[in-house]
Amino acid sequence: CSEYQKVLKNEEIAPKFKMGEALYNEGKYAKANKLFAQIVPNYRGKPQAEKLMYLYSNTFYKTKDYYVAGYQFERFASSYPNSEKVEEAAFLSAKSHYMLSPVYSKDQKETVEAIEKLQAFINLYPESEYSVEANILVKELDYKLEKKAFEIAKQYNKIAFTSTELEAAIKSFDNFIFDFPGSSLREDALFYKLDSAYKLGINSVEYKKQNRLITAKEYYEAFKNKYPNSKYTEAINVMVLEMDEALKNYSTKS
Amino acid sequence: QELPYSDGKKYTLGSVTVSGNTSFSEQTIVTYSGLSKGKEMTIPGEDISTAIKKLWNSKLFNDIEIYITKIEGDVAHLEIRLSDLPQLNELKINGIKKGKKEAIIKDAGLKKGTKVTENLITNTKNFLNKKYRKEGFYNTKILINTIDVKDSIETARVNMVVNIDKGEKVKVKDIVFNGNDILSDKKLRKAMKNTKKINRLRILKRSKFVDSAYQEDLSKIIDKYKENGYRDARILSDSLIVNDDNKTVSLHINVNEGEQYTFGDITFIGNTVYSNEQLRRYLRINKGDTYNGVLLQERIADNSKPDAADITNLYQNSGYLFSSINPVEVNADGNVIDMEIRITEGKPAYFNKVSVVGNDKTNDHVIYRMLRTRPGQLYSKENVVRSVRELGQLGFFDAQEISPNFNNPNPDEGTIDMEYSVKETGSSQIELQGGYGGGGFIGTLGLSFNNFSIKDIFKKDAYKPIPMGDGQKLALRLQASRFYQTYSFSFSEPWLGGKKPVQFSTSLSHTKQFLYNPITRNADKSKRFNITGISVGLAKRLTVPDDYFTLSQAVSFQHYDLQNYNTGLFTFGNGDSNNLSYTIGLSRNNTRIDPIYPTGGSNFSATAKFSVPYSLFNDVNYKALKEERDALEVIVSDSTRPIDERTEASDRVGEIDQERYKWLEFYKINFKADWYAEIVKDLVLKPSAEFGFLGAYNNDRGVIPFERFFVGGDGLGSYSLDGRESIALRGYPNQSLSDQDGGTIYNKFSLELRYPITLKASAKIYALGFLEGGASYNSFRDYNPFSIKRSAGLGIRIFMPAFGLLGIDFGHGFDALPGETVKNGWETHFIIGQQF
Repeated sequence: CSEYQKVLKNEEIAPKFKMGEALYNEGKYAKANKLFAQIVPNYRGKPQAEKLMYLYSNTFYKTKDYYVAGYQFERFASSYPNSEKVEEAAFLSAKSHYMLSPVYSKDQKETVEAIEKLQAFINLYPESEYSVEANILVKELDYKLEKKAFEIAKQYNKIAFTSTELEAAIKSFDNFIFDFPGSSLREDALFYKLDSAYKLGINSVEYKKQNRLITAKEYYEAFKNKYPNSKYTEAINVMVLEMDEALKNYSTKS
Repeated sequence: QELPYSDGKKYTLGSVTVSGNTSFSEQTIVTYSGLSKGKEMTIPGEDISTAIKKLWNSKLFNDIEIYITKIEGDVAHLEIRLSDLPQLNELKINGIKKGKKEAIIKDAGLKKGTKVTENLITNTKNFLNKKYRKEGFYNTKILINTIDVKDSIETARVNMVVNIDKGEKVKVKDIVFNGNDILSDKKLRKAMKNTKKINRLRILKRSKFVDSAYQEDLSKIIDKYKENGYRDARILSDSLIVNDDNKTVSLHINVNEGEQYTFGDITFIGNTVYSNEQLRRYLRINKGDTYNGVLLQERIADNSKPDAADITNLYQNSGYLFSSINPVEVNADGNVIDMEIRITEGKPAYFNKVSVVGNDKTNDHVIYRMLRTRPGQLYSKENVVRSVRELGQLGFFDAQEISPNFNNPNPDEGTIDMEYSVKETGSSQIELQGGYGGGGFIGTLGLSFNNFSIKDIFKKDAYKPIPMGDGQKLALRLQASRFYQTYSFSFSEPWLGGKKPVQFSTSLSHTKQFLYNPITRNADKSKRFNITGISVGLAKRLTVPDDYFTLSQAVSFQHYDLQNYNTGLFTFGNGDSNNLSYTIGLSRNNTRIDPIYPTGGSNFSATAKFSVPYSLFNDVNYKALKEERDALEVIVSDSTRPIDERTEASDRVGEIDQERYKWLEFYKINFKADWYAEIVKDLVLKPSAEFGFLGAYNNDRGVIPFERFFVGGDGLGSYSLDGRESIALRGYPNQSLSDQDGGTIYNKFSLELRYPITLKASAKIYALGFLEGGASYNSFRDYNPFSIKRSAGLGIRIFMPAFGLLGIDFGHGFDALPGETVKNGWETHFIIGQQF
């Protein structure tokens, strides 16, 4: 029977705290967590509780149990507002939520929550040493939401077959551009919007074709002016040639 | 120490002590009461009563009192005296079945450790009385006793005994109507859906008396009159008489029928999108018709059917989300009612944002491609309903919990946001089996992942526990015993390339089997039969004639390799055979909504499988071979000839057969159709029919001994051996209704009635009853769709996400097996992972 097992089964609480702390310092967080969990109720209201709760919360964080870590750190921060660790705890609580944020292509409930928590932290401790990192994390999460909206719109473009489906793609990119005005994906969004409009125009029924082509050309002009040196320049030039060719029919007819 | 409030004097709080029977620490109680040391307070005054209230509200204490123990100058010392509420220790419920107790404990909140108050006892009593009343037990008696527990543990505890005497159910003996001339008593009784008088012949509805149902049924009587134009009809009075036997009641209902009304002019106001003519076609009510308010409401908005052909849906399906339709009576002279149907069309609504929430496992692209509502498109209720249905059919989400939510409706702009809320459900199945069968141990390991993500297969982070979310299916299966081993692998991607719903699927399999050696009583590894197969297929959803159609194509190849494998099945023991074939199939599936328990729609498929017609160009004279073989067969079966000659002939037959089956030449046609119809709520009738035919291009070459149909039993194991198809027919042993070599034609008809026991995501269970019949035949000359083997029976199916479908059926075969004279009788079938 190892020393750890002995202490774990022992009724006394002081050795558990001591050993838990030692294990924590050695980086054996899972074991420390087990010991702490046993004594947390006993220390409630006692002066040592502050330290214990901080260590306890951190063991969850280190063992990647971010759901519980986020909750425990938040409790710590509200229970000990005068603690010297309060800032760190508040940050780690928010960061735990960040850790829970899934890949962009899944439900982003946790992402939105993490952004709120991180932003609240930044507002509360604007001068904190952690606020730089917090800002970086927020940015990353914001990008995730952008990426999600963009990829959904891009898929609409990809699977569009009928004219209403192409219009849906254009509408989605419009929504995207409106919702994320400063997005780094703006150029791509504008390109795919043009691409959708181009496909809509070229494959259009006759009586709508001219108007649709003219709209697509407007998008083209706007794109070219905004991004003269785009990676898409070559692709859009091919499109515009084809559209001009198609438009010729109308100028000669009228 | 009764002191008037106004005489309150300011004190500083000194010590606070706690006395009484409590297991809580003094500090906890003092802190909770808010009476902290050093606090300034007025005594008598608010603070004391607040403290008592606080302690009382904790619902932990009884008999709370606060005393002043000592006053020293302006310092007051207090004492809190209280006792803990007793905790519930043991609960005994008498008078009901064991299974029902759990539910009562949960609903009434009678867990161990609950604080027992008078209130709890009264509430429990009321709860139980009400509960049984609802079920028709009006004579229920509830008695609750508490007994203190006296033992070494200090906490106050009580045992509770709940005695329930449900008594007899109150039934309705008679329903008497007065004042009804137009509608007969019988008709009115029929209109009362849930209040019925005692009738031994009626089995579906009970005759118990339930007040809430009775009240509802009274309004149904009025509805019945309204349907017949008596819109003034009302119930003058109704009385309930308890009969002398105390078990039954009689209901007396007095009605006033009033006069009959008819429809007068019906005009539409406010319609610009649809003409009066078009709307009239939906309304289908004309001037002079008997007034029927219920029907009118149904034609305008039928709330019982979401996809009914009514005027509301006409507008809802063409974008007019914000439309409203109100029928107004404008004139009722001489019992003729003129109606105005006032329509507010509003702006057509377009979807602005469309989003999905709750997909913790499934990737966006798998879901969004299924949605028929996209940003910028015109709102259509039909498309919303269909999107929900199709998301349910994916099998990744709990079909009962998918909900379409409308957010940010903006009638001025004509926009609406759409949010589909989904809940992921387990979609992977693991099968691990060990069993004793076929003379030895059989082990099976099966893994099937229905929402796999192959692109994440090398990403370490994605293993939680397996890469998921791209909607791909991956299945692995290993099965081994002493006599055979099977390995198979299959993969499918529903949207190959992500652009169009073209499903790609591929599978690989390898089977080894060994013959039984009667001397060693073990498998003889030198006598083996190997089958290796590969197939690749594409399936595409069509848009014409409608988009429930799927066209599928597949190329498959099987290699059969025999070594020393002499059985009745093959005339050649050494040799090989190849099966290269092309399959084309057309299917239509619009079953809804839950794939495990469809309640509507139909599913049909037709497939044709061909091999290359080798005999057309390979210059083998099959006619000569056939003649030679026929002649040799005579020699083989003639026992008067010398043994050498017969062996030689038999070897030659083997050689000829090797030539005939080197490359299998055949075509095969299958047809299958199922329908699902909901008869009453959740009770589903499923008729189905199927047919199969295996033929040869060259009759001299003959119909191959592979790919045949075997009818009877549970239909499992259709992949074994030689491409055979096992056709389930309950009530008979497995494959008993076909020849040893299998049939070349079969048909089967069945009628199944299903009723769900539970349809929760964690387990779906339904019971079924069936009637079926089928048979296989050896050639078209024998074919007679009416000479079938019939059976009937009952069964149950359980679907759990982690195990797949499990079931048991008891079937009774009414006909005799081939070669027998008495009917087959009862058979039990176990069903694993397959649906009839």
